[in-house]
Amino acid sequence: MNAIIEKQCNILDYALSSLWRRRLKNGGIVVVFAAVIFLVASFQLVTSALTESAGRVLAAAPEITLQRMSAGRQEAIPLAHADRLREIFGIRAVVPRVWGYYFDEVRGANYTVLGVAPGMPQAEGLSNAVANETPWPTGAGQVVVGRAAAAALELQPGKLFSFFRPDLSLKPLEVAAIFRSETELVTADLIAMPIADARDLFGIPATHATDLCIYVANPAEIATIAGKIAKILPDTRVLTRPQIQKTYQVVFGWRSGFASVCLLAALAAFAILAWDKASGLSPEERREIAILKILGWETSDVLGLRFWEGIVVAGLAFLLGTTLAYGHVVFGEAALFKPVLMGWSVLQPTLHLAPQVTLKEVLLLLAVTVLPYLAVTVIPAWRAASVPAESALGG
Amino acid sequence: MLIELDAVTKIYNQGQINEVQALTEVSLAIAPQTMVCLKGPSGSGKSTLLSIIGCIFAPTSGRATIAGKPLARLPDRFLTVHRRATIGFIFQRFNILPALSVADNITLPLLPLGVSPKARRERAGVLMDQLAIRHREHFPAGQISGGELQRVAIARALINDPPIILADEPTAHLDSRLSRDFMQIMADLKKAGKTIVITSHDPLVTEHAAIDRVIGVKDGRIDVS
Amino acid sequence: MFLNAWSLALTLTSLAGIVLGAVACRTAVRVLRHWNPASDSERQIRLEGEIWLSSTLVAYGLGFQIVSLVLFVLAADEFCKVIVGAMCATGALLANGFGLPALLVKMAGVFLYGFWLVLHQLDIRSESYPLVRLKYLYLLTLYPLMATDFALQTLYIAGLKPDIITSCCAVVFGAATADGANLLNIASAEFLLPLHYLTMALLAGVGGVLLRRRQRWLQALYAAGWAWFFGLALVAITMAISSYIYAMPYHHCPFCILKPEYHSIGFAIYGALIVGAFLGISAALVEPCRRRVGLEGVVAIYQRRAVQLSLGLLFLFALLTSYHYLRYMLLGGEG
Repeated sequence: MNAIIEKQCNILDYALSSLWRRRLKNGGIVVVFAAVIFLVASFQLVTSALTESAGRVLAAAPEITLQRMSAGRQEAIPLAHADRLREIFGIRAVVPRVWGYYFDEVRGANYTVLGVAPGMPQAEGLSNAVANETPWPTGAGQVVVGRAAAAALELQPGKLFSFFRPDLSLKPLEVAAIFRSETELVTADLIAMPIADARDLFGIPATHATDLCIYVANPAEIATIAGKIAKILPDTRVLTRPQIQKTYQVVFGWRSGFASVCLLAALAAFAILAWDKASGLSPEERREIAILKILGWETSDVLGLRFWEGIVVAGLAFLLGTTLAYGHVVFGEAALFKPVLMGWSVLQPTLHLAPQVTLKEVLLLLAVTVLPYLAVTVIPAWRAASVPAESALGG
Repeated sequence: MLIELDAVTKIYNQGQINEVQALTEVSLAIAPQTMVCLKGPSGSGKSTLLSIIGCIFAPTSGRATIAGKPLARLPDRFLTVHRRATIGFIFQRFNILPALSVADNITLPLLPLGVSPKARRERAGVLMDQLAIRHREHFPAGQISGGELQRVAIARALINDPPIILADEPTAHLDSRLSRDFMQIMADLKKAGKTIVITSHDPLVTEHAAIDRVIGVKDGRIDVS
Repeated sequence: MFLNAWSLALTLTSLAGIVLGAVACRTAVRVLRHWNPASDSERQIRLEGEIWLSSTLVAYGLGFQIVSLVLFVLAADEFCKVIVGAMCATGALLANGFGLPALLVKMAGVFLYGFWLVLHQLDIRSESYPLVRLKYLYLLTLYPLMATDFALQTLYIAGLKPDIITSCCAVVFGAATADGANLLNIASAEFLLPLHYLTMALLAGVGGVLLRRRQRWLQALYAAGWAWFFGLALVAITMAISSYIYAMPYHHCPFCILKPEYHSIGFAIYGALIVGAFLGISAALVEPCRRRVGLEGVVAIYQRRAVQLSLGLLFLFALLTSYHYLRYMLLGGEG
């Protein structure tokens, strides 16, 4: 056993010296391979970081959200519906929510306006999201604004501004605080205000709300309770939190997968390059292999040599590519791929992503990059190992 | 006999349009601790004969027994295993890898045997001392003189302590001084118990006192003239 | 659901295996048609060289198959996040009729490619390469398995329907396919655990006697014991042992033990089990090769080493699977 390990160490040692002797050619392959791995890894890291962030954010969302539908479109839901829900066992609380989109014609931006009532479950999460631990404003007309919205409207704390009501009268608002940058993924375009102000801005009467947040005692019962609600209130759409989470996952996964398919072209091009480089044996390389074989290296030993060379090249490229990808995502905010994953919004949050590089992610990246490289180079490696020993004889 | 060939024939590309019969019914026997020279023009089958003696490939027909092992239709793997234990090669242009150091060149045959770096250094050190090239141990082989290169080639051939040394036109690109030095080393090795087969048509080799027998090869046969 | 990084990875890995396998089969056909060890022709020399190509390709194929197996389970764990009613990998694998068969075929592939490599290693140790024809006939039978693996995997991925919110009806009632109780419901833990330990003890006993006294019937018994134990262990892990690892009596998933939150102990457990079973079974399967020229000693050495290693892995497996159960009992848990 020791001899086998020692033998492989010897061959690895020779492989390293062989790679170094042809460092220009091998360095080129490492650089190109690392670039391909960088692209694939960046996508994968961004996707998993975004879905993980979304998951964390959604953890605070209500278990069930109830919306009223009319002719396939959402309408304000009567608060009387909440009374009907009290007969369902397992519902902990029903909280009306008022929110909507305000379209800014000048800037072409949509802001999300959320009405916050004291004591509602989201209030604590929202107040934690405010910068500098400013207490949550309770005065009428006082709003907390997300960073992207503040930048678009040129707002800072203390500044006054106005939005149009549906009847085109102006509603004055005052900026009380700005949301922290860490929460940008969800608060970037958010304007939070007292619920009464939100009703006033959108013209939603006190008897209605945009939707109802339903909090359930036992998460395992979500689907059952959702079914019961659907039966009692057939004119509503019942959204469960697991479904929203899965939808985010699918959307990010789809976009990432689509981009990965495009990257397959880059991978294929690299595979052809790798095949070409591995197949092209220079006269010096042929001579070297023939000498090794005459000196007692078996074909399997030369195959082992080429295998280790491939592993080292792939390993170096993988380390380089994934490190650069991590830097690109964490420090560069995935600048290259943001448009693909973030959509068309005018207001885009700055991404502070912290992707986790787990064994799972590493295996996935290895399977998409390193394995195809090894597969492409195995036949050229065998051809190299088949150089006849007798070609070393003669001048 | 250490090397025995009995009616050995070698045909390349048998059955194909470019079929070539390189050796025809060659028989020879070489005793241990002798030095034999194979002499003949290019294309005479010398290299093929050397390849069979060197366990590089087996004959098409006939019997070849090298160091007690019959080579008949041995797969390449077993030829290689037998070759590395039995044969030390010295090539025409030495075939040293110039980018590797002297020590690394000498120990190349030891790598696939799983010999540890320490043991490799020790064995190479002994040979480098004997051949007076220790001072060049870490030099890239491409930067040493012709004479030193010759000794590196000899050291590499001896690293596995094989009983048989094969040298293919070893003095073809050497001056007369280096050729004489080379033959002196071969004579010393013969005294030490090695069996040496040299292919050459250099008179400095064929007429050397240490040569026990000169065997002529012509048109794939032993030339008895 | 092909537009997904995991699906792409699985497809690429399988495609690479299929292509390399096709090249290996080409060699197999040529060897079976033209192999003539007595010949010195160019073709025979080329065929001898191609033997190294095919063995390298099968070795790569084995490596890819192992990666594919692990990737498949990890991918199922990812897919469950988008499939209605699926709480973990088990649910995802049961989402359509192709998931579990694909997994089982992949696992079979690991064993079968491994057997080929064992045959090859034995063959090249004899100067006459006595197992060449057997090896390459066997190789040709492996290719349909590879193709089946690829087909099942593709059908599984194609059949996955991710759950997304539609415009009107968002409540979809998923079947409760979450846990291993749906996967397997053969026997209770009270029955399985004692049987599991008894089998391990018997297997260790037979292995110990086999090392002292090599008998053909003992060898066969040992292999049969391992084959039985492999299936039993998988059931025991699913129905009994996994719950102790999760510290949750109703969580019976055999795949979640691979997750980092459980220290990925599943890899060590399944690794010990699969390799141990492979060695134990292969030791008997190579018995007929003893009669071939030049292989008597080589096969005997392999058999001995395989039995020793498999016993070591059995011991490791016993430790790994017992730790959580013993810890639970020692800390005062109820049986």
